Amino acid sequence: MRTSLNEIEHIERHLSDRLPGEESLLMEARMCLDMELAQKVSLQEETYALVRQYGRKKLKAEIMLVEKKLFTSPGYAGFKQRILSLFG
Amino acid sequence: MNKTHQPYIDQGEGLFTRLYLEAFPATAAFISKRGGSLTQAKDIFQDALIIYYEQVYSGNTEIKLTEKAYLLGIAKNLWYARAKGPGQQEAFDSIDSLFIADIKEPDLSENKLMSFLETAGEKCMEMLKAFYYDKMSLSKISERFGFSGTRSATVQKYKCLEKVRDEVKERKLEYEDFTE
Repeated sequence: MRTSLNEIEHIERHLSDRLPGEESLLMEARMCLDMELAQKVSLQEETYALVRQYGRKKLKAEIMLVEKKLFTSPGYAGFKQRILSLFG
Repeated sequence: MNKTHQPYIDQGEGLFTRLYLEAFPATAAFISKRGGSLTQAKDIFQDALIIYYEQVYSGNTEIKLTEKAYLLGIAKNLWYARAKGPGQQEAFDSIDSLFIADIKEPDLSENKLMSFLETAGEKCMEMLKAFYYDKMSLSKISERFGFSGTRSATVQKYKCLEKVRDEVKERKLEYEDFTE
């Protein structure tokens, strides 16, 4: 892998606590001295958060499709009726 | 939207249909008894399913209760947390991050960035989601996204991370320029 990708992998291991103790300390020290590296770490954290948001959004869309099916499809009319009766 | 990749775990729709049939009636009864509406019951159950999915299917949390009891438990917690008032999101956000502990929430204009990534970077986002959110194995990812093997999938995963990270940086700079 090219250098920048190796660095991304290293940052990932750092962020997920998978670096051995010494390497982790070294990384912390480097981040104090190298603002560009510190920024990359911070941006990478934001990227993971963004992926999680994206995952949730997609998952929710799928869940809503299932919900719609259960409340509109004639095959689930009994289920729908049972739920609606609770809120009569 | 690209339809070639089905990013959800194989059980997909079948899983959620089953969980709705098994656990939604009890959740709806609980919420109805406490004066809640059907819309509230639906909202809470949707979030409970997301939490359940993150914990069990992609988080590898082992649960000792039945799926129904577990889902009802999450829904009850969400209901009580939301009934407290403004801290509505608290319960949802307090679920441990599945990626990294104490992850920071993005402080940039998230929605704009998200919609950009959904269109311009969809393939990368789908792949990153498959790996980090759905916790799909690299061999499965290779198969699904058409890579020659796990090595190639790994390289692609880091390329995508770099691409999205660069995009986050760029958008952030643009946003800062705009607000200054």
